[in-house]
Amino acid sequence: MKITSSLDKNQRALKSQLESDDITFLPVSIKKRKGTIIFLKDIADKKSVGELVLKPIKDLNGNITVKKLENAFLSPEKKTVDTVEQLIEEIMLGNTAFLLDGIDVAFSFDLKVFEKRAITEPPTSAVIKGPREGFVESIAVNVSLMRRRIKSPSLKIENLTIGKFSKTPVALCYISEVVDPSLVKALRQKLKNIDIDAVLDSSYVAKLIGEHQTSLFKQVGNTEKPDILSAKILEGRVAIFVDGSPIALTVPYLLVEDFQSPSDYYNSPYSANMARSLRLLSVMVSILLPAFFVASELFHLQLIPLSFLLTIVNSIKGIPLSPSFEMFFTLLIFEILNEASVRMPRYVGMVVSIVGGLVLGETAVNAGIISAPTLMIVAFSGICLFTVPELEQVFSIIRLLFLFIGGSLGGYGLILAICFLIIYLVSFESFNTPLMAPFSPIVKEDLKDGIYKGFLCEQVYRPKSIKNVNAKRQNIKEMKK
Amino acid sequence: MKLVHAKIAMLITLLLSAIFFTNDFGLIDIEKTAIVTAIAIDQTDDEYSVSMEIAVPESNKLAENKKALLSGKGKTVSGAIRDMGDTSGWYPKLYFCNLIILGQSVAQNNVIKVLDYFAKTLRIQDSATVVLAENTAKELLESTSPLDNISSFALQKILLKNPGFDNDVANIDVKTFCADYYSKNASSLMPKVSIIRQENTDNSNQTTKDESTKTGGNTVFNATKTALFKNGKLVGELNENQTFIYNLIMHPSKETALKVNGVDEAGEKTDYLLTVVDNKRKISLGADRYNLDLNISLNLFCRIADQNSKQSKTTYTENEYMDIKIIKKAEEQLYNDINSLIEVSKTSGCDFLRVNDLLYRYCHKYYPVYKDSYLSVFTPKISVSVSGQK
Amino acid sequence: MKFQLKTRQVCLFFIAFLPVSKLFTMPSIIAGCASEDMWISTLINLLLDLITLSFVLWTCKKTKTDFFGLLELNFGKLGSKIILLLYFFTFFFKALLPINQQKTYVELTLYETLPSFLNFLPFFLVSFFFCCKRIRVLGRVADIFWVITLIGLILIFLLSFTNSDFSAVLPIGAQGFINQSKGAFYSFNWFGDCAYLMFFIGQFQVKKNDCVKVFLSYLIPGLFVVFFMIIFYGVFTSIAFRQIFALTEISKYTIVINNIGRFDYVGIICILASNFFALALPLYFASLTLNKIFNIKPWICSLIVNGLTCFCVLAFAEHFASIEKFLSVYGNALFFITANVLPIITCVLKKENKENEVSAC
Repeated sequence: MKITSSLDKNQRALKSQLESDDITFLPVSIKKRKGTIIFLKDIADKKSVGELVLKPIKDLNGNITVKKLENAFLSPEKKTVDTVEQLIEEIMLGNTAFLLDGIDVAFSFDLKVFEKRAITEPPTSAVIKGPREGFVESIAVNVSLMRRRIKSPSLKIENLTIGKFSKTPVALCYISEVVDPSLVKALRQKLKNIDIDAVLDSSYVAKLIGEHQTSLFKQVGNTEKPDILSAKILEGRVAIFVDGSPIALTVPYLLVEDFQSPSDYYNSPYSANMARSLRLLSVMVSILLPAFFVASELFHLQLIPLSFLLTIVNSIKGIPLSPSFEMFFTLLIFEILNEASVRMPRYVGMVVSIVGGLVLGETAVNAGIISAPTLMIVAFSGICLFTVPELEQVFSIIRLLFLFIGGSLGGYGLILAICFLIIYLVSFESFNTPLMAPFSPIVKEDLKDGIYKGFLCEQVYRPKSIKNVNAKRQNIKEMKK
Repeated sequence: MKLVHAKIAMLITLLLSAIFFTNDFGLIDIEKTAIVTAIAIDQTDDEYSVSMEIAVPESNKLAENKKALLSGKGKTVSGAIRDMGDTSGWYPKLYFCNLIILGQSVAQNNVIKVLDYFAKTLRIQDSATVVLAENTAKELLESTSPLDNISSFALQKILLKNPGFDNDVANIDVKTFCADYYSKNASSLMPKVSIIRQENTDNSNQTTKDESTKTGGNTVFNATKTALFKNGKLVGELNENQTFIYNLIMHPSKETALKVNGVDEAGEKTDYLLTVVDNKRKISLGADRYNLDLNISLNLFCRIADQNSKQSKTTYTENEYMDIKIIKKAEEQLYNDINSLIEVSKTSGCDFLRVNDLLYRYCHKYYPVYKDSYLSVFTPKISVSVSGQK
Repeated sequence: MKFQLKTRQVCLFFIAFLPVSKLFTMPSIIAGCASEDMWISTLINLLLDLITLSFVLWTCKKTKTDFFGLLELNFGKLGSKIILLLYFFTFFFKALLPINQQKTYVELTLYETLPSFLNFLPFFLVSFFFCCKRIRVLGRVADIFWVITLIGLILIFLLSFTNSDFSAVLPIGAQGFINQSKGAFYSFNWFGDCAYLMFFIGQFQVKKNDCVKVFLSYLIPGLFVVFFMIIFYGVFTSIAFRQIFALTEISKYTIVINNIGRFDYVGIICILASNFFALALPLYFASLTLNKIFNIKPWICSLIVNGLTCFCVLAFAEHFASIEKFLSVYGNALFFITANVLPIITCVLKKENKENEVSAC
């Protein structure tokens, strides 16, 4: 419905749809003409409304026209709206609307003030050396954090709104001189195609834009740190900010990303290499150790050295559970403790760790319910998995599946399961990028920042695994001059 | 389609978990599994008597593992093992069996009948050491040793020494024995183990019965003699010196002790213990239509480890090289030992020096000429040289 | 023209999957025929393969179309389908023996108690999944598995090398050409891997020196297999013919194994994993040919091929000796035609059609 020059008519149309106690219709009078300011009382900055909207037009001379009004408003973010629906949308976004009798358009001003969380170090990616800033829930703050790091006109921000009811602001962020335009186009289209009631967190978007909806593995990367995000978009990725979420998404995603920690880039490559190798080893140990242990106990005793076998036989004497069920039971306890310690308040979480980890474990072994080697293997496997926290959920499911396979089909079943996993991973592509790159397919240049972390001077080119239009990122020859 | 995949995956997971939780695949409880560490085989008139030593883990973590001895009888070795399982209710796990002891009764017949079972079956490692007992095999397993609660472990301590470091025992595994048996020379050997009962003379070491069980018995083993087999039958024996020289010319040696007795030093007979630092050895065969020469060359580089002479300490600084008298005596002794070794090979018919293999591999042209008579025809040409430092 | 594979992936494909399947039962079979000359039998088969490979590589370089296009261009639709049917049977029969022997290997060396049906059935499930994938997945799998194969081979090689008496293979040629040929004939089923390269024609860009790279990547693993035969005979000598599970046996006689346990299983597990693909490859190409002949969905082809193989392996388990006999007589003739004769013939075929198209896989 078009906005008419009759204020009453416009107000009636608006009030019929905006029946809520937090919406204020503030009547004003300009040169004996009636007007209304409409805003969400808990969001709008009332002082700014007075200073930037009302005060400048109070002193207008002569005939009041749309042009004169537009020039008079001091608010930098203003918009002219000519339909009631559009105006309602603006109000719902937290903007302040202004209607004047005799004028057949409305004005919208971005004068909202939200309560914001301070910029703190994100708990998911703490570093010893390196920037400690993390994204917050406000999309504007997050964009500003990016602008602070990349002061180039090539850093483009594209705003979109997703969610039928939530109208969540979403921003695409990329470096136009680097990114593959077809990727931005595809992503923009995917975001526009999303038709959902509400987007309450960036994880909603991550799930909705993924090409394999039922996949166990994630297809979109994420980070909470502006320095990491800057590095990622400089490699040709596109970032997605979602208002209300401190986690920015990155597309395309490579599995190796999660084995890379921010600290790898701030410490020496030697320690980074060691840390990355340990992470890979830990993940493999974590997934395979419980399964191979059970498989060995049940089917392949010959794999266990005799002295260790005697220790195992000794420790499982009198235990009522079968080796497979015992391992499952212990793993179940571990997962429950893990879940409980995450959910509980921090001070109680500590108690859970002590009671669960120490008392329960020790008592269970002493009571002869579970054996000491099993307990040790589960504990070790659990700790190993936390070296790659991003993949902890995925790999704990795989660990359980592998345990089932190891306990029911034995070692050969496990070998086949590994083969299956590898076939699945190497054939997995998201946004035309293979998940396992740069290892499969091998991208020689990108192996310098895979599990091996090369020296900074070695990384002359942007990763080839991610399509980009500007391959070179540093000029070594120039620097040597 | 994607949901169909998910459903199939769910179905497979359910199936797996059903198998996982029920363990319904004829699984043998690990506690019912008898971990066999050694097998002793004796033969009566028409059946085999097999004794197995089983490691029994102690529930007390600090205590050492104990052993149990189970026996079975049968027309074949596998039948006897099955019999043991049937009577005890234990499932014998032979994979960890690292020692096979054959009794004298078995050696009188073709031992390959017994060993072929172990070489063919995958349930036991054919890398297990095989030995011949001086009397019955069971007796060896029953003995208790202060070296280890489990007698097979104690026995393996003298058998499984690094062959480079000790040349007293002619260690052999099932695979090598069988390979030698099926080779062109059909000759093989294995250590002969005897029990030595140690007399406890130390009064302060008198213990109660319980304590003596805890520390083990008073028997130790000797495996320095070697039994020789031709076509699987016992045909002879190498004594301690012959076993030593056999190992010295057949295998690389480092830090091996060589005893040189009766070196004449100023009218006084002195015994020396030399450490063989390096042994360069070569066995080759030269053949023509009329001659078959077995060339054995042994060059040892030694160091004096010990001697029973009083004046030794002064000589250390005077001359860096070993005294020529010691060298000559050592060379003479080694020469005689090699000669006696060849003599044993010729008289027993056991070609443990693999002359026939050499003939086939390096003098293939003359193989048809000498293949039946090589052992009696070949002429040994021995060259021994010893050098060393004090 | 979009290529599914890179030359590097073709090279790694041969490095990863060519040697592994030849290390299980094949050595004992050849040893039974040629004893100390078993390496010569292996060399004969390798040389035959290398000759064929040279022709196929020449075709790869000259043609701009793929194998299916090449067949259609020269033999017409019906003719090409008949040839593809021959390939289907080749791959199907080529898969049967090694898979059955792998099943026996797994049952006897890894398990003691699990019934065979259960422990080997997952092989066909994973193989089914693998056979549904596009040809570029082969290249990607090779990108990963060449490392795993190398780890396994190096470990087994190092552990067994010191125990081998290399003089055991002397005198060279003592067994005579007849025995050597017999060894080559009975192991023929394990060779002929260059037939796979036929299906890669037009799927990768052949640039300068690429043919040499592919040739070397076939030659080097092939020579490794020959060298493995020498080590194998050196370790087992007169009882080599009895070692039907060579891979598990060969490295356990080292002193290190005696001291710290069977860590050679790490290498065995690596090779077993690579061998899964080596065994599933014929099934993959059988599915592919079926897909091209009848133009049905890949997953249906995969289901048919894997289902049929599973049925044969499990149902005829007790009669496999006769199947083996049949395959070694009649199967070898078919293998020779499809793995050696037909690839050589391709070099005299018309290489280009007007459209220069690559049919999608």
